[in-house]
Amino acid sequence: MRRIASGRRGAVGIGTKTLGAVVTVVAFASIAAPGARAQSATPGGMPPPPGMSLARSAAMRFPQPVRVGDLLHRDVLQPVESQNVLGTVRDVVRDSKGTILVVMNFGGFLGFGSRPIAVPVDAMALLGQDMEVVAFTPGQLRHFPSFASSDGVPLSPDAVIKVGLAKPSH
Amino acid sequence: MKSPFRPDTVPDPAILGLHRPLIRSLRRRGLIRGGFSLGALAMLTGCDVHRPEAVESALLAVSRWNDQVQAWLFDPNHLAPTYPESMILKPPKFNAYYDVMHVKPVNGATWRLELSGLIADKQPWTVQQLEALPQRSMVIKHICVEGWSYIGGWSGVPLRTFLEHVGADLRAKYVAFQTADNYPSSIDMATALHPQTLLATKYAGETLADPFGYPVRLRTSTKLGYKNPKWITSIEVTNTYPGGYWESRGFNWFAGI
Amino acid sequence: MDKDRQAGRRLHPLPVRIMHWINAAAMLVMITSGWGIYNDDVIIRGLHFSQFLRLGDWAAWSLNWHFAGMWVLVINGLAYLAYGLATGRFRQRLLPIRVSEVIETVRETLHLHIAHDDITVYNAVQKLLYILVILAAIVQVVTGLAIWKPVQFSGLVALLGGFQTARVLHFLGMVAICAFLLVHVVLALLVPRTLWAMLSGGPRLSRPALDPHLARQAVEELPRP
Repeated sequence: MRRIASGRRGAVGIGTKTLGAVVTVVAFASIAAPGARAQSATPGGMPPPPGMSLARSAAMRFPQPVRVGDLLHRDVLQPVESQNVLGTVRDVVRDSKGTILVVMNFGGFLGFGSRPIAVPVDAMALLGQDMEVVAFTPGQLRHFPSFASSDGVPLSPDAVIKVGLAKPSH
Repeated sequence: MKSPFRPDTVPDPAILGLHRPLIRSLRRRGLIRGGFSLGALAMLTGCDVHRPEAVESALLAVSRWNDQVQAWLFDPNHLAPTYPESMILKPPKFNAYYDVMHVKPVNGATWRLELSGLIADKQPWTVQQLEALPQRSMVIKHICVEGWSYIGGWSGVPLRTFLEHVGADLRAKYVAFQTADNYPSSIDMATALHPQTLLATKYAGETLADPFGYPVRLRTSTKLGYKNPKWITSIEVTNTYPGGYWESRGFNWFAGI
Repeated sequence: MDKDRQAGRRLHPLPVRIMHWINAAAMLVMITSGWGIYNDDVIIRGLHFSQFLRLGDWAAWSLNWHFAGMWVLVINGLAYLAYGLATGRFRQRLLPIRVSEVIETVRETLHLHIAHDDITVYNAVQKLLYILVILAAIVQVVTGLAIWKPVQFSGLVALLGGFQTARVLHFLGMVAICAFLLVHVVLALLVPRTLWAMLSGGPRLSRPALDPHLARQAVEELPRP
């Protein structure tokens, strides 16, 4: 059910709301197929090895400078072949410990019912025009507390932060 | 001078034919064991059943024919659309046949560009020497065979300028590249001479970052992304088909867009 | 048109049957290999095609199938269009289409009356679907050309609204053809005589296939006693 819901969300993501509806035949074919849920191994968005700190694993992804303003509204994807949309970037903030967090509108259906969660930028990676959460599964993200504006100070859109890279997952 | 691209002793091709079934079965077993954990290659596992050899060679024959059709379609004077600098994606999208953490940065200070084949002056080049040649910038679309695309801004010396400068035989068929990440690649001479084919050293006005091919990569506006080798270490001009990393795994060689 | 020569003709002359089945095979190759290519960068996030449905065990081979299949599809398709136009088959079988007839046929179908007593005459919805699927195939060739050679045909890509839009259009064309295929195959199975006709040629036409309205008109024009 989750998969189907996120699929619909994705249609909104590319700005063609009706697309999801008209391809029922195709969608049915894919969902009905026994192997449809079997995702391939995804070295592109491999989680950090157990025990490794987020900071260290992010450093291995060749962090590149990027303007905060260029990150806003980006789709946040799950690093799997089907590129499920987890949410969109709403804000980039710094918490009291100095950690940079990406606040994303997480979950929901067709843009409704999502809630903001804050994910450490070191748990994320840049994938072209999108972002990915590489260090947490959607199941883990579901347990993240909702973000409150008192949890961090927004960075200016012109601020430049460093974010690691990912290659496409398939 | 002998090409560094060729082994010292040429093996008898018959040996390859003789051992082909064995090599295939070893490769299959290796893949099943997960010996190859790379993303794209992971899909090869246990799939030879669906790809009988006769079908495979027929498809490759059509792919060779498509190379010729594409060469015929290629207009050496047609420029790819360009875009304003404000549309450049910063940083660009990363892709390789391995994940980003396996990128091995190249030391620009000790790096040399080796030349071989049908080239008059085979002196190795440094980054500074390359940057002293006339430069060109272009903001073009990068189109990957996978279907994604982004707009990138690249600067460097046009490959044509470089080949003319070193006295390459411009009537030769191929320009071949070796790279620090063992990603051999090659393009046709017509594309090498296209004005939007650069030995790129800068992205969005800044020195190329490590994951994108520092110090020198190829950037051509008229081919798919996989025809743009990064971390180039040597260039050969030749009339012998050089192939490439993905081409030897079934992808089309010309890959023009 | 030489009416005498047409008189003994079968519903589906041999060239039509050959081209139909070549097209069916080429379309299946293009659709299933296309799904293999699609998977490397999905258009609808969350939707990808399982290996079970794809032709080619990974992208390189799906691409090779696609770029081999395209020659069969295009050459066969051009031959089919040339044949349909030159022999007048399109004009006779697919035209005219009247809106009132379309509505009537849809209403009948909704009441589960699938009138197929005479398989030599296409109803209005059939005509419309056949025309639309021919157009969809042409759209696929044009959008396919645009995403195969977006630099050489940069004008065409601009006309289509850019490379990514052309990709989405190519995907939508596939969806349209799949939707047609579903209806087409289901109806052929419900009325197996039509399927048999596409293999054997079907009944001989005693006269050129006439539009029922024209036929009625002709009857009305007969001198009254």
